[in-house]
Amino acid sequence: MDAIPAIRVVDLRKNFGALEVLRGVSFDVHRGSVVSMIGASGSGKSTLLRCINRLETPSAGEVFIDGEPMGGPVTANGERKERPLSDINRMRRDLGMVFQQFNLWPHMTVIGNVIEAPLRVRRMKRKAAIALAEECLARVHLSEKGTEYPARLSGGQMQRVAIARALAMQPKAMLFDEPTSSLDPELTDEVLTVMRELAADGTTMIVVTHEMAFARDASDRVLFLHNGQIEEEGPPDQVFGAPKSERCRQFLSKKLQ
Amino acid sequence: MSEALVDALNPALFWEYRQVLLRGLAFNAYVFFSAATVALIVGLAAALLRVNRAWPFRWIGTLHVEVFRNAPDYIMVIWVHFVLPLLLGKLIGQRVEFSPFASAVIALGFVYSGYFAETFRAGIQSIPQGHLDAGRACGMAESTILWRIILPQVVRRMLPEAVNQFVSLFKATTIVSLIAVPDLMYQVSMVTQQEMRPLPLYTGAAVTYFAVIYVVAGSVRGLSERWRNKIYA
Repeated sequence: MDAIPAIRVVDLRKNFGALEVLRGVSFDVHRGSVVSMIGASGSGKSTLLRCINRLETPSAGEVFIDGEPMGGPVTANGERKERPLSDINRMRRDLGMVFQQFNLWPHMTVIGNVIEAPLRVRRMKRKAAIALAEECLARVHLSEKGTEYPARLSGGQMQRVAIARALAMQPKAMLFDEPTSSLDPELTDEVLTVMRELAADGTTMIVVTHEMAFARDASDRVLFLHNGQIEEEGPPDQVFGAPKSERCRQFLSKKLQ
Repeated sequence: MSEALVDALNPALFWEYRQVLLRGLAFNAYVFFSAATVALIVGLAAALLRVNRAWPFRWIGTLHVEVFRNAPDYIMVIWVHFVLPLLLGKLIGQRVEFSPFASAVIALGFVYSGYFAETFRAGIQSIPQGHLDAGRACGMAESTILWRIILPQVVRRMLPEAVNQFVSLFKATTIVSLIAVPDLMYQVSMVTQQEMRPLPLYTGAAVTYFAVIYVVAGSVRGLSERWRNKIYA
């Protein structure tokens, strides 16, 4: 394992008013590894993911991307200055995100969705962006759908386009926020297959999921969240085979019935 | 039909003056496009103020919308042409005068900016938060998100409503003759004074406005539907 993790989360906390959603979460994600986050609804998994790329601003704690703190460096007198948005945007480029609701832009074609950020954010030339987009669409097995509008795709296809869109930014890590939760069961497999292939290719991934089979077979580490804290963590064999926490055992027995 | 009625409705007179009347209609179009441009730009600015997070901005945007949406076109045209120059003149200690055309464009542009602001605002607020999150997650700047993700969708969503407002604005351009903008109605009044035959002239004007609005609005609606349907299959 390398010294600097791709993503390091240190004592992350998030309150929404009086509600404490995250209560001090710390973990590392090493390059090329896949971390799955499981836990009941409301345990803070999605909020944690959204704090990592700062779609939510953490109340306390820090996230390091390749050793660089997202919240801004500490000054000589020990104060932490919030980074300007342009800085955060630069760091966000390195974190691809896939959402539960796909969030494709409906007014753009499939290829338009995929080239948009490379064009406007990475400032690539159109030709190069299209070549890259075609490569990414091939990785999600949708090469033939480039000229379609999202409204004409199935949910599984939309989610695979969303994955291609995130890949096109050539991120250092991918964040998946319950990518199969709004899909019909027969469509989840095509998305999970793509995710397994990415994992096998050595993509660094954090996956919030209710798919226990994926968490067990495809990830290097599993975190079980409960009430905004990591209740159990370890390699999948350990978490699924011999969980130390009673709550984790209960959660898994319900899920695996 | 009596001969008198046929004679009264005879459109020959209207045809005889076609050039002058057509020039008037061109002025309507000129006022319309200028005022529509003002209304769209000012309306978008007001809408962006209304969806701003900081309450002073929201307050200014709301004030703008309420003032202009509730002001009658007629009074605004008169006020901008006769009162605003006086006020400005007193303010800078110099004589100020607006051309009738400029007054018409400012007045109608601002009145309709109130309506367009509300249409823009509704459109902006109807864009799912997730679309913005997806842009932010890719590292897009907020301005890129506005121009590439929000506005292109807003325009599609607001088109049917906007076409109605454009129709109202075009109809409203007929009142600019009151401050001597030489539009179609103004020309009709002039010719009527000469010929003393209001019936064919005013009827002709009404039919002309109807035909122009019916044909143009109809084709715009048709085209925009085809364009919108692509993304809402």
